[in-house]
Amino acid sequence: MGDITQIPLPSTADPDTAGFFEAASRGELVVRTCHACGHVIHLPKALCDRCHSWDTGWRQVEPRGRIYTYSIVERQVHPAFPAPFTLIVVELEDEPSARLMGCLPGSPDIAVGMTVRGEFETVEDVALLRWRLDAD
Amino acid sequence: MTVAGISHRDQCAIVGIGATDFSRDSGRSVLSLACQAALAAITDAGLKVEDIDGLVRSDYDAVSHNDLANALGLTDLTYWGATGQGGGAPCGMVGQAIGAVMSGQARHILVYRALNGRSGVRFGQRKPTGDRVGGAGGMEEFFMPHGLTSPGQAWALTAQRHMHEFGTTRDQMGHIAVTCRKRANANPAAQMHDRVLTLEDYHAARMLSSPLGFNDYCLESDGACAVIVTSAERARDGKQQPVLIRAVAQAASADPQAGLYMPTLMRKTLTTQPSADVARVLYGRAGLGPSDIDVAQIYDCFTITVLVQLEDYGFCAKGEGGPFAASGALDMDGALPINTAGGNLSEAYIHGMNHVVEGVKQIRGQSTSQVAGAQTCLVTSGIPVASSAMILRAA
Repeated sequence: MGDITQIPLPSTADPDTAGFFEAASRGELVVRTCHACGHVIHLPKALCDRCHSWDTGWRQVEPRGRIYTYSIVERQVHPAFPAPFTLIVVELEDEPSARLMGCLPGSPDIAVGMTVRGEFETVEDVALLRWRLDAD
Repeated sequence: MTVAGISHRDQCAIVGIGATDFSRDSGRSVLSLACQAALAAITDAGLKVEDIDGLVRSDYDAVSHNDLANALGLTDLTYWGATGQGGGAPCGMVGQAIGAVMSGQARHILVYRALNGRSGVRFGQRKPTGDRVGGAGGMEEFFMPHGLTSPGQAWALTAQRHMHEFGTTRDQMGHIAVTCRKRANANPAAQMHDRVLTLEDYHAARMLSSPLGFNDYCLESDGACAVIVTSAERARDGKQQPVLIRAVAQAASADPQAGLYMPTLMRKTLTTQPSADVARVLYGRAGLGPSDIDVAQIYDCFTITVLVQLEDYGFCAKGEGGPFAASGALDMDGALPINTAGGNLSEAYIHGMNHVVEGVKQIRGQSTSQVAGAQTCLVTSGIPVASSAMILRAA
């Protein structure tokens, strides 16, 4: 993509979301899950919004999913993301109720429903999930 | 739909409207813009500045109630409030004013929105390099590191999904852009008054974030709008023909999501928005339905935003927003003329407060694109955030 030194890096210190980034630094993708009722709390928060239990933790899922929607950005807004690049929203294969934002370089031939696979890339002290279209 | 048997139906009215000029560079402070719109609304209502005893602002507004009270020299302020978020606020702000009037906390409430949205802080502008993003409950840490940095990109993702689910086309969205532009061409106050837009122009313009192109995006504007809310009883003795607020509603019942617009991409559906919740509450409170609406001012930060609301407010079935928009229904002689001053797309981006002002003009018969005999006007505020809307009607 563009100049990685310019990427707006995530804050990893929020008590509700920090576990996601801690797992990422170990190369693991996780979703926050309620231990009491099994509900997936996405985006991650400490309290289960379904049963209101505070007994919540993290469940590992495979970094695989499907394109839920996408946009080819042709006008640059941010220097870390020179146009063209492609924004994707990924529905996780293991947990379709959880979606994650992602991006692909350039303007690939893409359609809703295509499968993608992710791996982590370390930028400074943060591991960012990078998706790739399955070659099939 | 009412609490403890109390209904605000037709109990309050808008008695004054005011606006500044709309431009790309006002050369004035946001506070001056707010004062200018406020004084215009007070004059329009036939009131004196000292009659204003309440203020309601948007949570995004740089002008606090203290700032405006001080600048106008208000001496008898007994109520102030703010609601949000951003474009979702204006009709909710009027609703807050109704609550204050009906509970006796103030008599004449000035509701305002002022911004230097082009020359000052622009939406989607990047944060300074080196700042970490998110981490304060807003969840930006899951979006911005992956390149999502502007509302237009988020709406592009929603538009693409709408196309996937329902076969919506760019041509159909183009009809919304062209319709708003035609109304702006008739409105001398509109920023796009002198700029004609055809469907061919729409297709020829550059793509910004597919499937949204240049003319799918609203303007960026410097300006301000203000209205004055009082009781229907007091309004009867006023200078202007009172415009009754039939009903107002805020609603966020399904899948509200945290923060601002980015986490809304995590909702179970992108193609039904909080506007569907607002519609249900609003029509219930009003005792009216979509077939009772003569003209509508529909919040239009993007063309797709209008298309989804046409469905959510029940003017057509879910998924039929595209064909409905392309059918001519939105034209002056159609079933539902919309955005008769040009909207955010072609009049000015006053964050939907200009839609409130134009709604009042329609009921007064003062619009530059007047719908003959308009008795009811739907005004909506922004999505994808939790939203609001109201129905205005002739007394």
